[in-house]
Amino acid sequence: MKHPSEEQDIIRWIDGEMNESECATFEERLKLDPALATEAQKMRALSASLRSHLPAEIRVPHADYFNTQIEVRITQMALDEARSKHAATSWSAMFQWLTQPWFALVGAAALAVLGFFLLQPASPDDSESMILSSYTPNLRVQARTYHDHDADATVLMLDGLDAMPADKHISGVNIQRSEMEPELASTTMYDEKGAAVFMISHDSLGNPLISPEG
Amino acid sequence: MPAAASTDPGEVSDLDLVKRSQAGDTRAFDVLVTRYRGRIYAMTYHLIQNETEAWDLAQEAFIKAWRALPTFKHDAGFYTWLYRIAHNVSYDWLRKKKIQGDGEFDDERVEHRVAVGAEATPHGDLAPDTALRNAELGQRIQAAIATLSPEHRQVIVLREVEGLAYEEIAALIPCSLGTVMSRLFYARKKLQEQLHDVYETSL
Repeated sequence: MKHPSEEQDIIRWIDGEMNESECATFEERLKLDPALATEAQKMRALSASLRSHLPAEIRVPHADYFNTQIEVRITQMALDEARSKHAATSWSAMFQWLTQPWFALVGAAALAVLGFFLLQPASPDDSESMILSSYTPNLRVQARTYHDHDADATVLMLDGLDAMPADKHISGVNIQRSEMEPELASTTMYDEKGAAVFMISHDSLGNPLISPEG
Repeated sequence: MPAAASTDPGEVSDLDLVKRSQAGDTRAFDVLVTRYRGRIYAMTYHLIQNETEAWDLAQEAFIKAWRALPTFKHDAGFYTWLYRIAHNVSYDWLRKKKIQGDGEFDDERVEHRVAVGAEATPHGDLAPDTALRNAELGQRIQAAIATLSPEHRQVIVLREVEGLAYEEIAALIPCSLGTVMSRLFYARKKLQEQLHDVYETSL
């Protein structure tokens, strides 16, 4: 193994990185050391060969396709970015909406609806339901029920709710209960197009769960 | 650092194209891709020694450049900036490949793998036998480079192909000047060992 300074001298001499005086001194050394001279000459020949055989520019195979693919990926990135921005805005708006005071009332109402159906006695033969009790977590909301004979349906009336915001059009509510476990139920509110606006359910401890969907 | 391709007087400058690209003009960026794809591909090809991977990595470099364009400050030339990105993309790939340990980059191993399909820009008309000898030697050199470690391959490409000064190589890698010279010495030494038959007869 050569001393690092000797390696550096050879390298710098090959690459023309020595000044005039350094170059003259090194070439004097080469005259006195034939082995070093041979090594330096071989390495210089190699370096010259590398430079002439390694082109700095190579024709790109399928060059048009190369450009097209880049453009496709750039366009795809722009679309993905736009989509994620839109989704972030939508989710942000959704959660902002959930923090509004009126939402607590809507949530309370939904729970009341849930409780109303869950507390109904199972009497499949009777067309008229009997409401034993109702519960609303928010005292400002009052629930009352009656059976509408014309519609043959039990109607739940909730008083004390704030008006829905103008941009939220809830035109339908669906309550789903598990056939196997009747206590598992969820309330989904839909807009006029049938798209779910949000869903309320509860966890195993009975705490309400709100799932924005959109 | 590597110089930008010389532009014809009537050609749109890099600066104009970069400004338009920064404003979202993909057609302007397409012109830059066309202008520099050959040089970027050459660099990735010399480093990677695989046509398909080099093609993908050159593309990756342009995509990364597009994404990073908002941060480009015009304090360096566009090509120098692009070159750095392409170098980093390729070198990261090489290091990952080395970590995966698939047996490549063994400096002790001599393997003559012929690089297929790498069509270099023609140097001019040569006699058929000279052209053939040059092509064969070119293939031997590429095969020898393919056996070098990423670190050695990197300095060879930066010095012999791009002609960067030691200080520029040290800044790009980054490492000390001494390390650059040491790597260059041993990289050339290893190439010399593999190509000794060529150089012993020529001296």
